Amino acid sequence: MRAKKRRKIDKMIQSLIYLISFIGVIIFVSIIGYIVTTGGKLLSFELLTGNYQAKVTDIFVESNGDNYTYPSSENEYYSPRWDIAVKDSINKEGNPIVEISYIGDNSPMKKAKNLNDCLIGDKSFCSEYSSVNIVVGNSIKTVIMDDYNQIAYGKYKAEAMVKVLEKGSTINSMSIQKEGGGIRGSIITTIYLIVLTLILAVPVGVFTALHLKEYSKNKKSTYLIRSMIDLLTGVPSIIYGMIGVVVVIPMLNIIFKTNGSSILAGAFTMAIILLPTIIKNTEEALKVIPQEIRAASLALGASKTQTTFKVVLPSAIPGILTGVLLGIGRIIGESAALVLVMGAAIKDQVSIKEGSTTLAVHIWQAVGGEQPNYELAAAISIVILIVVFILNRIAKIIAKKMNKSWY
Amino acid sequence: MNTKKEINNIFKIKNLNLFYADNQALIDLEVNIEKNKVTALIGPSGCGKSTFLRCLNRMNDLIEICKIRGTITFEDRNIYRPNYDVIDLRTNVGMVFQKPNPFPMSIYDNVSYGPKCQGIKDKKILDEIVEKALRDAALWDEVKDRLHSSAMMMSGGQQQRVCIARAIAMEPKVILMDEPTSALDPIATQKVENLIENLKKDYTIVIVTHSMQQAARISDNTVFFLLGKIIETGPTNKMFSNPNKQETEDYITGKFG
Repeated sequence: MRAKKRRKIDKMIQSLIYLISFIGVIIFVSIIGYIVTTGGKLLSFELLTGNYQAKVTDIFVESNGDNYTYPSSENEYYSPRWDIAVKDSINKEGNPIVEISYIGDNSPMKKAKNLNDCLIGDKSFCSEYSSVNIVVGNSIKTVIMDDYNQIAYGKYKAEAMVKVLEKGSTINSMSIQKEGGGIRGSIITTIYLIVLTLILAVPVGVFTALHLKEYSKNKKSTYLIRSMIDLLTGVPSIIYGMIGVVVVIPMLNIIFKTNGSSILAGAFTMAIILLPTIIKNTEEALKVIPQEIRAASLALGASKTQTTFKVVLPSAIPGILTGVLLGIGRIIGESAALVLVMGAAIKDQVSIKEGSTTLAVHIWQAVGGEQPNYELAAAISIVILIVVFILNRIAKIIAKKMNKSWY
Repeated sequence: MNTKKEINNIFKIKNLNLFYADNQALIDLEVNIEKNKVTALIGPSGCGKSTFLRCLNRMNDLIEICKIRGTITFEDRNIYRPNYDVIDLRTNVGMVFQKPNPFPMSIYDNVSYGPKCQGIKDKKILDEIVEKALRDAALWDEVKDRLHSSAMMMSGGQQQRVCIARAIAMEPKVILMDEPTSALDPIATQKVENLIENLKKDYTIVIVTHSMQQAARISDNTVFFLLGKIIETGPTNKMFSNPNKQETEDYITGKFG
């Protein structure tokens, strides 16, 4: 009887474990599912390489009198006079636009003249024009035909715009917009920040760990340093951000002549945040190395320094790498501290002496504004997930290769 | 015979006392180690033979709580004199440990590690040293085709012989061995013992062992330790056939230990 009861309880507990782990799996799957379904539509090569700022060019076009044909599809609207087709679409920020979906090879639009070269953008002040390359994917914001009565805006939608275009033989002014919303600047900033931070944090962290584990004889001071490191690991990053604003930025303003927030300040702040992690991981890696290996090296007449750098440190590389990987994850994920020391202005031209946004802060910007753009945020999330996944794989492969020599 | 023996003592230990914090581990040791002979240190566990061995190349320096009194002279110079160069001592007195402990590197890097640390950079010279050391360790034919594969991938016995080759590569005068075969199977043990037999010509060997048979097989002289004291020293043949002290006889015949 008793055995039966016990079996029953065993079964119950087992099914409970399955159930709870199933809930966990569902949560993970639904998060990834949401991100992929929301952001997947937006994720494209253009998003990754495109500028954030939209670029508007005003042009002037004359018709050559020909009528063209094009088998336009259902939601396209075709203008025979200008040989272009447009359709209603939505840009990366989620706003409706009139997008050019086709330009004929002989279209008069190919001979468009750039009005931005002219004084106050008016062709009557101009004699020479540069050419403009209009491509599929650009959008049309406004059209003003030759008699100035026929005007169309993007918000009139594609159909109305084509009707206006057909009403004259000269386009006096047309605003062509190369869509922005790309995250190239944020990707570059993230890479800069990772590289700079690691350059600053890894040597300091590794040498500190070496000192603590291999060299320091003073038990009291190492105990003190270790407890401080433990304490610092738990400090919220916003506090480091504040320290960055109060200490790092003024310091960099003097040394590197930066002007307020900069990627450099971000790197210094992140380096401070990462130091405890890197020190701890390196120390753990050093602890695992058998004492006999050190003894063997010393017994061969190697000095302490030779032992440390030729045997101990190379053996600790997988552990150090784990720390670095955790660090990179933290850099990619950090937002609060970075908003303080690097600002929140999204840039296309990235300079380490100026502020910029990482991918995480870009998400913060996209979701935190007046019109939250969840699609963009999810698309960036996908990028971050992929990067973290790749980093994990690389670190595992390296660690495996290094570990092979141990076992 | 007696005068000649005096000259041939490479290590002379006088009045050696060793403390781990407040515990005295070695008590008033007086013993000489003969040159180009195999000296076996025997005794039950915890009697101080490994501790004594580690005094000979000052590996006890690594243990902070360890305090040493008395003198050990190596080639008539006291190695515990304050300005004695430890690194110089260790290049002359090599050591092989109980557990095979090759570095996590290739066989070649393991064997060439010591010479490299001494500043030898010439690839040709290193190649020669490695080949000679591996030949002396009777390992060359087994590993010559995979010198650059990891030493950690080898069998335990091979690893231990790499460790011996690594010690030989420094061309030391003395090789200390701390139970070098205790982690090995009988066949690997056999190989290591043969190796020790061959090395005897060129090197002084001091070996700690738990195996009476091993001590009888390979050693010329034997030192018997008990509770931190040396009970008896002498030629192995004599000690195993006709010991002076009752404790020695009891231990050798397996009455305790």
